[in-house]
Amino acid sequence: MIQALNLKKAYNEATVLNISGLRIPKGESFGLVGNNGAGKTTFFRLILDLIEASDGEVQIDGQKVARNESWKPFTGSFLDEGFLIDFLTPNEYFQFVGKLYNKSEGDIALFLESMEEFFNGEINGSKKLIREFSKGNQKKIGIAAALLCDPQLLILDEPFTALDPSSQIRLKRILTDLQETRNMTMLISSHDLNHVTEVCKRIVVLEKGNVVKDIATGEDTLKELESYFAV
Amino acid sequence: MILFDLAKHEWLKGIRSSGFYKNVTMRIFTSIFSLYIGGLLLFMGFSLNKVLEEVPGGTPMELFNGAMLYLLLTSLALRFVMQQLSTVNLSSYQVLPLKRSILINFLLLKPLVSMANYVMLLVIVPFAIRSVAGYYSGAVALRFVIAFELMVWSNSLLASFLKRRFGSGFLSFIVVLVAIAAIFLLEYLHLFSLFAISKALFGFVVINTAGLLVPVVMVIATFLLNKWFFAQNFYPERFNRKLQTSRTATTDLSFLNRFGIIGELIALQIKLMLRHKRTRTLLFVSAMFLLYGLLFYTNNHYGDGMVFFCSMFMTGILMFIYGQWSISWDSAHFDSILTKNIPTRTYILSNYYLMLAFNIICFVLTTPYFFFGTKIIYMHLTAFLFNTGCNIIFLLFFATFNNKRVDLSRSSAMNYQGTTYKSFLIVLPIMLFPILWVNLLAWLTSLTIALGSLAAMGLIGLIFRKPLLDLCVKQFNSRKYVIAEGFREVE
Repeated sequence: MIQALNLKKAYNEATVLNISGLRIPKGESFGLVGNNGAGKTTFFRLILDLIEASDGEVQIDGQKVARNESWKPFTGSFLDEGFLIDFLTPNEYFQFVGKLYNKSEGDIALFLESMEEFFNGEINGSKKLIREFSKGNQKKIGIAAALLCDPQLLILDEPFTALDPSSQIRLKRILTDLQETRNMTMLISSHDLNHVTEVCKRIVVLEKGNVVKDIATGEDTLKELESYFAV
Repeated sequence: MILFDLAKHEWLKGIRSSGFYKNVTMRIFTSIFSLYIGGLLLFMGFSLNKVLEEVPGGTPMELFNGAMLYLLLTSLALRFVMQQLSTVNLSSYQVLPLKRSILINFLLLKPLVSMANYVMLLVIVPFAIRSVAGYYSGAVALRFVIAFELMVWSNSLLASFLKRRFGSGFLSFIVVLVAIAAIFLLEYLHLFSLFAISKALFGFVVINTAGLLVPVVMVIATFLLNKWFFAQNFYPERFNRKLQTSRTATTDLSFLNRFGIIGELIALQIKLMLRHKRTRTLLFVSAMFLLYGLLFYTNNHYGDGMVFFCSMFMTGILMFIYGQWSISWDSAHFDSILTKNIPTRTYILSNYYLMLAFNIICFVLTTPYFFFGTKIIYMHLTAFLFNTGCNIIFLLFFATFNNKRVDLSRSSAMNYQGTTYKSFLIVLPIMLFPILWVNLLAWLTSLTIALGSLAAMGLIGLIFRKPLLDLCVKQFNSRKYVIAEGFREVE
């Protein structure tokens, strides 16, 4: 589904990402790990056409993403607060996003109902503006909005950070569920090796912009990763 | 003295904020602008005597005294909108063993240091030298200046009290405006003269040695009023309403649903404007600019170019203010705009239609000026056509050069955050070109041809809006990475 060909991103000669060839087939759950500055967010931004590649390209379904909009209708993403519209209430925001993907009010209500456990009763129907919510709840709103459009491709940057333990477990359940029932392609980056190995079938380790490990998740994966990152 | 430490912290906060050094060009522009305004005020101070001498009803000083209460009332209304409540980060000091009264005194006295309170001295001092010392004595002139400054202080204190007590909602602003308008009307109808009261009161204050006590008492009274307010409201959350907003957001813009995604985006922009203080203040300010015509149309001294400039300014004020930053308003959620299912063309179109709606609103609101004659009607029509046909496209195209994040969470008027020299470069040509064009053509041929040609340009812009908008879309697409990157940089 996704193909990165000779993808390079450099800022003033300093290369921050250099991926010679990476294919992510449809329905794969793809985990991206790496220390700060490894290029995880840069890679996601390139896939979402938020920054311009210095060289090479990203293709989704065989089409170049750069300056192209055909991938937008089936892609859900949440990288950071820039993806939220913070002066709306959560419901206004969900309505807005839902409309963009041609969802009816009924669809949206049904979806929010299914997320009620994840929201822990604090988000749906609240009159607070998004900017007044805590970081954890903002993250929940962003993830929900990304899922709202029934995406075939889901891109989440560190979805587990700032969430409380119960919400982390619920999110894991939601993600595995979506893989099984909808065969959704997922790209998830995380600093939490436990979570990411549980959710993803394939783990790629980035270091200084290069792919250094590409493993199919098995029983020893967690140990392998832990020993890799051990100092 | 602990007060000095606090003052030092404030000073450090100012010069260590990351924006301080970055924006040198902006600083130069604003300094030139302030020098210009300062010069104008000084000139006004020196020439005021001559103007007032020709007015019957007393010496220049007596006339000025008569207007004093009006001045104070108007500046109170202005302060109500513009003056920012001074805040120290109270909670970070509250936990330290600092006396509360010291913090409050600091909070109250800090705004008195602000330049805005002393700008008017540029007018008052020359006026006092020429008109007061000239007619009375040096001592009276000195008292005049001191009394004026004391009144400014008490006005500033009163404004912050009113603002803390009643909030700076739109409603309170309207109430103040209506009250002032009512007093003006009563004066005009000779039913009640604030002018006479003001003249007698300030005459007493300035002429008598003991008169100075009146403004002194006023300053103390307003200061104590503020102290009383803080005594009543002990905890920051009680008076700092921002801390507990959760205002129920019930803006019903569902009528825009019919227009599909464009309607949704326009509704989003309207909510954006209504829910941020900075944008709300801009809306008030533009409402005030709609009165500009009273200044220009009533006076025959202005050339056609200036009068047309005024028409263009009024019929397009919302468009100018919004359009200058038309993409930058979305900086905080720009990534959302780019990744959600919003075609670029739809996004640009939503901006276009919003500005079109603004122009229609302003045009309708300024129709009362049609009473000033057919010339004004033609000017407004031309201005509307030119603004809609050419200026919207121009603004949309050049807005893509603004890649500085506009931070709406930081509030209020006179907030130039996110303004760069580019903002000036964008607005200057659209402001200057029509004046020059009208003046030139009216001088070479006739006003009809000057206006007609501008209207024709507007019509051409309207007819070819599709290819022109395509051009804007193309421009947006080629600039979007640069814009997005700039918007991600939080200052």
